[in-house]
Amino acid sequence: MLNSIRQRLNIPPREEWRDRINEMIDTRVRAIMAGLSLKELRAIARGDPPTERPNPRYKVHTSSFWAHIRPRYYLEGMTWFTHTFRLGWFTMFFFALEVITGLILMVYYIPHPDQAYQSILEIESNVFFGKLFRDAHRLGAEAMLIFTVLHMLRTYFTGSYKAGRSFTWLTGVILLGITAWLSFSGYLLPWDQLAYWAVTVGTSITESGPVVGPAVNILMRGGVDIAANGLLRFYLQHVVLFPLLAIVFISVHYYKVSREHGISLPAKVEENALPEEEIKEANRRIDLIPDLLSHELFLVALGIFIVIFLVGFNFYGAPLETHANPQATPLDTKAPWYFWWLQGMLKIDPATILENLLARIGVNVQLGEILNSKFIMGLIIPPILVFILVAIPYIDRNPNRMARKRPFAIVWGVAWVFVLIALSYMGLPQFGIETPAATRIIQDLAPEEGLGELRAIPFEELQQGIYTVGEIAAGDDLCGRDFSYYPKDDANLVVGCPHLNSVFFEYQERLLKAEEEGALPGMSAVMVVEDWQPDVKKVTLSIDWLEGQEEKNYEKHYFLHQDRPRSE
Amino acid sequence: MRRVQFEIVLGTILVFLSTAIIIYLGFKEENRLEEYKAEQVAEQIEFGAAVFEANCTRCHGSRAQGIAGLAPCLRCEELFTTRLDDVGWEGDLQSYIISVVSVGRQVSTRPQLYVGGGTPAMPTWSEKYNGPLRDDQIRAVAAYIMNFEPYALGEVPTPEPLFGLVDESDPLSRGRAYMAQYGCTGCHAISGFSQGDVGPVLDGIATRAETRIEGYTAEEYIHESIIKPYAYIVEGYQSGVDEAGNPISAMPNTFSEEIPEDQLNDIIAFLMTLTEE
Repeated sequence: MLNSIRQRLNIPPREEWRDRINEMIDTRVRAIMAGLSLKELRAIARGDPPTERPNPRYKVHTSSFWAHIRPRYYLEGMTWFTHTFRLGWFTMFFFALEVITGLILMVYYIPHPDQAYQSILEIESNVFFGKLFRDAHRLGAEAMLIFTVLHMLRTYFTGSYKAGRSFTWLTGVILLGITAWLSFSGYLLPWDQLAYWAVTVGTSITESGPVVGPAVNILMRGGVDIAANGLLRFYLQHVVLFPLLAIVFISVHYYKVSREHGISLPAKVEENALPEEEIKEANRRIDLIPDLLSHELFLVALGIFIVIFLVGFNFYGAPLETHANPQATPLDTKAPWYFWWLQGMLKIDPATILENLLARIGVNVQLGEILNSKFIMGLIIPPILVFILVAIPYIDRNPNRMARKRPFAIVWGVAWVFVLIALSYMGLPQFGIETPAATRIIQDLAPEEGLGELRAIPFEELQQGIYTVGEIAAGDDLCGRDFSYYPKDDANLVVGCPHLNSVFFEYQERLLKAEEEGALPGMSAVMVVEDWQPDVKKVTLSIDWLEGQEEKNYEKHYFLHQDRPRSE
Repeated sequence: MRRVQFEIVLGTILVFLSTAIIIYLGFKEENRLEEYKAEQVAEQIEFGAAVFEANCTRCHGSRAQGIAGLAPCLRCEELFTTRLDDVGWEGDLQSYIISVVSVGRQVSTRPQLYVGGGTPAMPTWSEKYNGPLRDDQIRAVAAYIMNFEPYALGEVPTPEPLFGLVDESDPLSRGRAYMAQYGCTGCHAISGFSQGDVGPVLDGIATRAETRIEGYTAEEYIHESIIKPYAYIVEGYQSGVDEAGNPISAMPNTFSEEIPEDQLNDIIAFLMTLTEE
């Protein structure tokens, strides 16, 4: 009877079931894995040769979108670590990291001046792993830029932009710009002092442009000053426009590499400067599946581990300064490090240099009006630099790629690296900007932003008193030797006030030295610590001095709460 | 071992390590969040104290102790206990403070206590209503004022203030400090010292005072102006007339009781240094 039902329902006999089920699974697996069978996947994982002919591992490249953008194989020489250092690969890795962490941060971030800063605080104190994601996003941004530049330098020094790769080089230069702008536009979003002033200074460069300059400035800022409109514009650039542009150009850039010309072979392989054996080996094919793929999976594991390690154990943290304040220009304004070179260039005043040169040959002219340094150094020179960068493959017609056959190009490249480092150094706030002595001393002990030694003094040591500079002998203890306390999370008794002492004596020493050097004649100064609230102390640093007959005073007040962070 | 095998082994180990770190951090994350919350509150109070110092002390006193006749004490029991019932505020104290600071007060709730019958009272502070402060600054000020609670309720004894930057031996320096303490600077502007714009500017007062009332020396005029402000009112600073029809000055007439004679002399000595160039 069972058999008759089987026959009527067209159910095959038991022996056929296994084959049928296997076949069904195999069909599904092949559909999902773009033609690779279960058996084949097993062979790939084991490192066995292909199970079918023609090689199904190559067929994937035509049947799957994701595999079609990947190369079928690279030559072994292209994959030598010392040739590429995986720099381009890691750039892409960090881009992916930025997309993932960025999407999560977008859930919590509010792009409005009233709430942006608060939402960052919430991300750090109210979102599970929020700080981890913010730190990782910031780390990824900086790393992506570093790897982009290193990747470019590697390409330059190995001469890989030559022979049919000039368009790839061009897309690379565009990607450098996109990456820098992605990083810079993200800079504004936390809406802290760091962000606000870096972007204000950055956008102000366009203002000096001819005819359309002020209009471009207003277009970028969304108004005369950066406010709600400006923040929204930067936000949309950061999360929509430039990520899309990046995806477009990364695709073009990568497709050229993977499907057209491949990674360049090391010059010594291409130009036969190695023994025949090694050349032969370098020209051996390495398939994407499984060799390159397994290597890439390893790199992913390595990259994720490094990011989690650095961020998770606080070796790297995204900074957050105080709320943006258009009324208070910070004492030490600083562009993000990747624009220090530009800031350094802006400190060069071409008008004065030219005036001095012309004066030597007896021509006295005033050029300050015509040759505005912001215009020349901010708007004329950088585009020229970009143009040179784009034009490198066309300027350099030397067909050789080996370093010793293109000495001029190598020297030229090294020189530019040094020029950029020197300009970056000039861009530091310490360079070429004089701060009055009293301001500098107080700013160094208790900077406007960040911690500084004063704010790091443990709460217990902030003992009320008026400590006058010049009246306390080095070696004395401000709290007296009878004073002692147990620090939080530490069982060791601290006698006296070592931290308070160290801050006061540094203050005293630097002031006395400044007086001696004539920077602060007739100086008198105090440090006052007052009990202000049950868990708040007020510290006042006040310096009086004479400028000619005039009495000058510089005074700063600090309120220090018991629970404030005392380390960075 | 081949490179591929080595990478597979190492890669697997790295994945496990990453997972282990994430799990470890996950267990600590709740604590970290709380720590950050506490630190952010602490920094908000510090920030509020700085904003208060820059904007509020001219009327409410350097330590929020209030200035009689000008503005109430913000560290006193009354604010933390009965104030909300008196004004009929339904929310909590912090939101009450934020609201009052943001919009200000056009008319005082206790006009009998303040200058000019309590008009104008508190200025508007929020940027939203054309004031100078951002909302986060106002929230921080509120957090700072709330932090006086243990003092106000007597849970922690209020410490004696340390008179910081006043040189006790110098009458001018003392006078300057008393000017701030009694709230003179809240209404009167002195260049380089105060910006008040309720009463007359005091720059050059030592020279002008001599010419005001015949037969008075400058010191005598200033003395009288402080303790009996209604005796001679500079044009434009009359705030009304009393029941008998005598003019009332915008300046409170409570200083004769508040300021001891020796401190008054110090204030006069300081004002006498403000001569016309």
